Amino acid sequence: MKNKLVVRFFVRLAGFSVILIAADRLVGFGLKKAYFNQRVGQFSQTTYAIDSTFQDVMIFGSSRAVRHYSPSIISKYTGLSCYDSGRDGLMIPYSAAMEEISLSRHIPKVIILDITPRELGIDKSKYEKLDILLPYCDEHQQFIKYIKEVSPFETYKLFSKTYPYNSSAFILAHNIFFAKSAEKDDNGYLPLTGAMTKPEMEDYSKRMNIRALRTRKKNEVADIKAINYFKRFLENAAREKITTLVIISPTILNNAFYLDNQTLERGLIEKISREYPNVIFLDYSTDPRFNYHPEKFDDVFHLNKLGSEEYSAIIGQRIKAKLNTGRQQLTNTSKGIY
Amino acid sequence: MLFNSIDFVIFYIIVTILYFAVPHKLKWIILLAASCYFYMAFVPVYILILGFTIVVDYFAGILIEAEHVPRRRKLLLAASLITNVGILVVFKYFNFLNLNVDILLHKFNYHNPIPYLTILLPIGLSFHTFQAMSYTIEVYRGNQKAERHFGIYSLYVMFYPQLVAGPIERPQNILPQLHTRHSFDYDLMQSGLKMMLWGFFKKLVIADRLSIFVNSVYNNPDMHNGTTIVIASFFFAIQIYCDFSGYTDIAIGCARTMGFDLMKNFDRPYFASNIQDFWRRWHISLSTWFRDYVYIPLGGSKVSGGRRYLNVFIVFLLSGIWHGANYTYIIWGVLHGLYSVVYILIKPYLRKTPENKFAAALMRFGNIVFTISLVTFAWIFFRANSVKDAFTLIHNLKSFGAMPFIGDGVSNFAQSVLAIVLLFILEYKIEYFPGKFNFFSSPNIMLRWGTLVFTILWIIIFGVFNGSQFIYFQF
Repeated sequence: MKNKLVVRFFVRLAGFSVILIAADRLVGFGLKKAYFNQRVGQFSQTTYAIDSTFQDVMIFGSSRAVRHYSPSIISKYTGLSCYDSGRDGLMIPYSAAMEEISLSRHIPKVIILDITPRELGIDKSKYEKLDILLPYCDEHQQFIKYIKEVSPFETYKLFSKTYPYNSSAFILAHNIFFAKSAEKDDNGYLPLTGAMTKPEMEDYSKRMNIRALRTRKKNEVADIKAINYFKRFLENAAREKITTLVIISPTILNNAFYLDNQTLERGLIEKISREYPNVIFLDYSTDPRFNYHPEKFDDVFHLNKLGSEEYSAIIGQRIKAKLNTGRQQLTNTSKGIY
Repeated sequence: MLFNSIDFVIFYIIVTILYFAVPHKLKWIILLAASCYFYMAFVPVYILILGFTIVVDYFAGILIEAEHVPRRRKLLLAASLITNVGILVVFKYFNFLNLNVDILLHKFNYHNPIPYLTILLPIGLSFHTFQAMSYTIEVYRGNQKAERHFGIYSLYVMFYPQLVAGPIERPQNILPQLHTRHSFDYDLMQSGLKMMLWGFFKKLVIADRLSIFVNSVYNNPDMHNGTTIVIASFFFAIQIYCDFSGYTDIAIGCARTMGFDLMKNFDRPYFASNIQDFWRRWHISLSTWFRDYVYIPLGGSKVSGGRRYLNVFIVFLLSGIWHGANYTYIIWGVLHGLYSVVYILIKPYLRKTPENKFAAALMRFGNIVFTISLVTFAWIFFRANSVKDAFTLIHNLKSFGAMPFIGDGVSNFAQSVLAIVLLFILEYKIEYFPGKFNFFSSPNIMLRWGTLVFTILWIIIFGVFNGSQFIYFQF
């Protein structure tokens, strides 16, 4: 009797598992179709950045990369095509992954890495967020090593064909059914349209100063793994002799990184960048053209359209100057300009 | 080992198969070995602390039972309780107490010579200590025979499903079950697995989803306006419920698959219509522990009005302290103590439920909303990283009405709202229509399996799989 029950349980469990796997495959297939058929939104930008970019200037980074660099303006000043493959909320490990996959297919002439000191700080979320690469793992095995940063079991979870699209259903539905109202990008650039007010900026400044007083004594500790990703990013570019601009883009306060306890990380970015002859380090976080100009910021972390267009023009001119006065002349080879 | 990890899934499958594969006389060995392994997956050396209390309470139980002189019995019980509470004080409260001594001495320009301990809090210490204490108290009261089988007694304290976050069991419920022969039961297996699935749903789809927004607000208390804080606090109220009750459901389900029946720990607390009702539905195993071992011995409600209020207040103060060595928990306990005392005071003057059904439903709804508001306000202290943070958040409530911050993206916020709506629909169904729409146990196999497949896929699509710890593990 007991054995019969056990057999019955396992037979039913097997039957249920078959149905579950079939349903998972079916839903996964549908989600994959939907995912790769998007024409708007950051998912489609990532897909484009991974599979189709061919531009001369490639921009990598987090939301500050996506919101701060207008490829059209940079192209206008440099005469080079440009694409912004940054992504909201992602940090240096993601930039390294995207750079690696991009360089395996196409060698740009200039790379811009927009980085914030926070990216080198201790924060495991920057690794957890690498799961957005899951939909690409089937076709791009190079991503597997990045996926393992999410968790050691992440690759086993890929047995499920639905799992790669975890947490993306809402965005997918929005991008498919409300494509017209979705943000339209300009070669990956998604400008923000709001503007901060002076009282908002002053309130933020006040809060940051209060917080700084409370946390100032905290020891700053950099994340060794993140530093290695940063170095890997620069090494990959150096190997291909690509002119690389490591940029800290403008902030609303001129002492934002000091107040946020990130002076160590900021120093490290500069120090490491200077180790590579093809890398130019630029810090606009204390640029008075942007500091304390709330009308150029959408929020405390991001420039708005007005600010980003002004800033993109500055970057465009900077690249142009570099191209004209670079240590090597621009060549027409696909190997870049450095 | 976390329930929401692949390690646990593998562990659970192996242990359950082994449990049913071996003969009855060996089952306790499998469970005890599994429980040791489960506990040692956190900090291995802390098994020694657990072992020490087990040895003390095991012999205390036998000696109390054998002793007939009341004074000596009392002394033996006191020795057992002091050992348990002593361990709690050393590992959980020592640094907190020392810090307070430090502050006090500093005020009078004295130096505190007592060094701080650099130790991690053993996981689930308050849970298994309370469970162990209930054993010796029940033996002392004569409600429970002393357990002679050392392995079985160890298992009573260490049974892995409820070892680190309860339910805090009573010996009368668990010890007899540990002696009972459990063979494979198809219905219990099915029902236990479904219970575990529901627990995973609560933890992964609701609690961990909400935690993303809650953490972003509570970790930056000075950066958010009142509207955002109200939303985050309500989200935390739901998060902690789904986190803890999700853990409990997994624990109960896991034990049930092996034939064990653990006590109910939650009964849809956010459908409570007053604060007393809330505590009848929230963390039932702890509330009843305090009722049986603190409130009633203090005189309970059979004392004068003033003394009764004091008893209620003491219980909630202790409950706050039980949760952690931090003033945030103490204030949380004090708030609940005040809520309860005020409720007892005003209860006789409250309006009776109207006869009109609509008016009665409206009144109940209003009471539920009011109770949730009170509970949510108290959660601010529970969740805040410090008392200062809690007051900053409360101070910032003045800007309620401003545009809220919705976090990393609309998607996460929308998923959080969807999760809450889904929870309330399901709990509403269970609360008011318990016999209807039971798709999980429908006799129609298509509907039953369809619902199960749908739930699993929903977890895969909407769950958060970052392996975050259960909140109550820290207690």
